Amino acid sequence: MSEQIEKAFQKQAGIFQNSKVSSKNKRWYKEVGLGFKTPKEAKFGSYIDKKCPFVGEVNIQGRILTGVVNSTKMKRTIIVRRDYLHYVPKYNRYEKRHTNIAAHISPAFDNINVEAGDIVTIGQCRPLTKTVRFNVLKVQKAKTASKSFSKF
Amino acid sequence: MHPSIFFASSSLSFYYFFIHLSIYLPNGISRDSRHKRSASGARRAQYRKKRKFELGRQSASTKLGGKRIHLVRVRGGNYKHRALRLEAGNFSWGSEGVSRKTRILTVAYNASNNELVRTNTLVKGAVIQIDATPFRQWYESHYAKVLGKKKATEAKIEEVENATKSKSQQKKLAAREATAAVDSLLDDQFAAGRLYAIISSRPGQSGRADGYILEGKELEFYIKKIKSKKH
Repeated sequence: MSEQIEKAFQKQAGIFQNSKVSSKNKRWYKEVGLGFKTPKEAKFGSYIDKKCPFVGEVNIQGRILTGVVNSTKMKRTIIVRRDYLHYVPKYNRYEKRHTNIAAHISPAFDNINVEAGDIVTIGQCRPLTKTVRFNVLKVQKAKTASKSFSKF
Repeated sequence: MHPSIFFASSSLSFYYFFIHLSIYLPNGISRDSRHKRSASGARRAQYRKKRKFELGRQSASTKLGGKRIHLVRVRGGNYKHRALRLEAGNFSWGSEGVSRKTRILTVAYNASNNELVRTNTLVKGAVIQIDATPFRQWYESHYAKVLGKKKATEAKIEEVENATKSKSQQKKLAAREATAAVDSLLDDQFAAGRLYAIISSRPGQSGRADGYILEGKELEFYIKKIKSKKH
């Protein structure tokens, strides 16, 4: 319905929609493993995203990282910032460094309204675009919601 | 004796340089990412020539016409069937579960490029029109009903529906009655003799243009797109 925005018909690749026998909207989803819960929106929603780890054709393998969301301006992808300390032996001290990682965020997390500052867990998958090799698995909102008032 | 010979050959192999060079590349198409700017925008310097394992080849641009397929030897000694011209394919009617080899008539819609529609280029995901007769023949023999009722002549309907049947045939037909209904959109297409289908194989890789007949929501979606394109 409203998710047919593109020029080609969006559908999940493996499921046959025109069966004469049953006509309920079939939806396929999977558990990504490693204890990550697949969101309700993924199981019962109506979005189509072939790059979603729950409802699409990508598998989570390799590293699982966490970071802070830096920007959410791209369509279905976010930049995650990971800060770390690098040790300089000569001075016996540490310096701050950071890496920006582009990660694909599934429409399953649309209703959570991910904003800059939220903590996010991302899992490695195969290359999805030129710079995206990760997929968002879990979102943890920042302590204080940015634009709404928290109770005192 | 044996172990010492193996040892000698393995120490030699370290000195072989593995040369994968562009001498083997007749065209300039390469699939590397070293020519692209990095994520930060930096222009990457070229530090090596193109390698054979990063090669790309000209696209097939399969057209409609008498079957013409070229074999391409690819990495590993395997062959790809590059279809340059095709006229038929194996199409399946999903809800009925039958496949028939049918003639491809024309390309109706392509989500990526209108040029491919104009030039009738067969690619995966192209919406095409196929000849409906094999499927109609199967349906009539399976369900003893006429498809495309509006255009069918009285005589035809008579011939198909009231042909003499044996008792066991009649029993089978009665059992199939329940699932014999066909969507009105499909029925209209049968009346015209052309069905909308979509190619789901890759003609330039496998040499075949196979696919499935569009039904249901997908069919409505593409019919709407084709209609709005015409205006």
